[in-house]
Amino acid sequence: MSERPVHELIKELSGVLVQLSDKVLQNFFESLRAMKHQDTESARKIRMVDDEIDMEEVDLEERCLAFLALQQPVAKDLRTIVTIIKINDDLERIGDLAVHIIDRMPEVNAQMLESFEFETMGMQAGDMVKKSIQAFVDKDRAQAEEVCALDEEIDVMHRLVFKKVTKLMKTEDADIDELIAALSISRYIERMADHAAMIAREVIYLVTGEIVRHKGDFYENLLDSLKNERD
Amino acid sequence: MLMTADARESSQSAPAQKATRDMYIPPARKKVTDGGTAHISAKEFSIYYGEFEAVKKVNTDILSKYVTAIIGPSGCGKSTFLRAINRMNDLIPSCHTTGALLFDGDDIYGKFTDEVLLRKKVGMVFQKPNPFPKSIFDNIAYGPRLHGVNDKKKLMEIVERSLRKAAIWDEVCDRLDKNALGLSGGQQQRLCVARTLAVEPEVLLLDEPTSALDPKATAKIEDLIQELRGSYTIMIVTHNMQQASRVSDSTMFFYEGVLVEQASTAQLFTNPKDPITEDYITGRFS
Repeated sequence: MSERPVHELIKELSGVLVQLSDKVLQNFFESLRAMKHQDTESARKIRMVDDEIDMEEVDLEERCLAFLALQQPVAKDLRTIVTIIKINDDLERIGDLAVHIIDRMPEVNAQMLESFEFETMGMQAGDMVKKSIQAFVDKDRAQAEEVCALDEEIDVMHRLVFKKVTKLMKTEDADIDELIAALSISRYIERMADHAAMIAREVIYLVTGEIVRHKGDFYENLLDSLKNERD
Repeated sequence: MLMTADARESSQSAPAQKATRDMYIPPARKKVTDGGTAHISAKEFSIYYGEFEAVKKVNTDILSKYVTAIIGPSGCGKSTFLRAINRMNDLIPSCHTTGALLFDGDDIYGKFTDEVLLRKKVGMVFQKPNPFPKSIFDNIAYGPRLHGVNDKKKLMEIVERSLRKAAIWDEVCDRLDKNALGLSGGQQQRLCVARTLAVEPEVLLLDEPTSALDPKATAKIEDLIQELRGSYTIMIVTHNMQQASRVSDSTMFFYEGVLVEQASTAQLFTNPKDPITEDYITGRFS
């Protein structure tokens, strides 16, 4: 049986979301590259692409809202549209993070970037976003849960940067502005991984109908407090 | 209770089923304070037209004072099941049942059941408004008169109370002596609800009550269902799934005579458990 127009439309909106995620990720990786090479021309393009991302995000949200109003979807159709709206929001925020990284570009140098391994951290966070979107496409709960687990690795990397920055700040010749910039970049990448984990949780909702957000907070907070004590 | 005192003594009726409200009622809608026990229960209940099993071994509890919607494709047995609750199917000679259908623990199809008493307690409103060709007053007073109320003052009280409950009093209070057939379709349907309420039923069965009405009249009936919720156990058969989701607390999905799924309406319309339900409500039925 061929798909009904309403279901074709859901596929189309899902496709638009996936295209947007490609654009967001490409811009993010480009921001890492531009920062490494201090490429101001690329930085300008990244800002322009982010403006496009913002417009596309609004456009997709409007289309989803119109779909909700006109088609009144239920069950998995409803969950798919709600999930698209939420992932769309996460992608737009990730787009902003790429611009934030570029904003810090004048304050950092290549040597410092290498010492903090931001490229590795960024690539891993980008990979998480890629996997979470693939989980959305495949409606794959296991893949989404894997992304949630990976978030912890990025958190560990961010904590290491934090500790390193704190240590360096105590040295005599510390460039405080540069170190604060490094800490911010680490934070932006860590936020990106958080968005990837949020996308993954939204995929779990799409697949199971269960909202898993906040459910593990108690244990996460407990683990955090134990880690902080040890540190 | 559906039986005469003598009949009651000679029968052994099961006690009313205890609540399973958490299964069906989402927390946001738990506002009915004294409802939630099983008002109507089906146990392996089947309905046959001759050899054909139109409703197949249904097991369910309908909770008191909540709204339960019955959905499903045409011919799935939803109206047959609804009509069985006040024995409307008795009018069809080939129709017979197996299993048990209980009202407050009494078997609706029991040997000693008083059908007149049953239909007083379980009122029904049909797809097409069907007022009697009489005055508005007489339409409402018809049932109470049948049950022995003849005092004019008392009848007037009943008529006003019933019309107010059905949210139509303000529209007809100055023309109670006018013929009910002169009312609009939506008004006629609310009049029929009022006529049902006049004999103080416990259960209201609504068989596609808005399918012949325009959107404005439909909205009034839906608002009315919300107002009556908490005072009566309401069951509504509807083809309009948005209507089911708007007005009901619990939804039953029938397919080919089988009760496929029953859940809180919020649960059924956001995350149904059965793939057949999912396919039906999302329009993926082949």
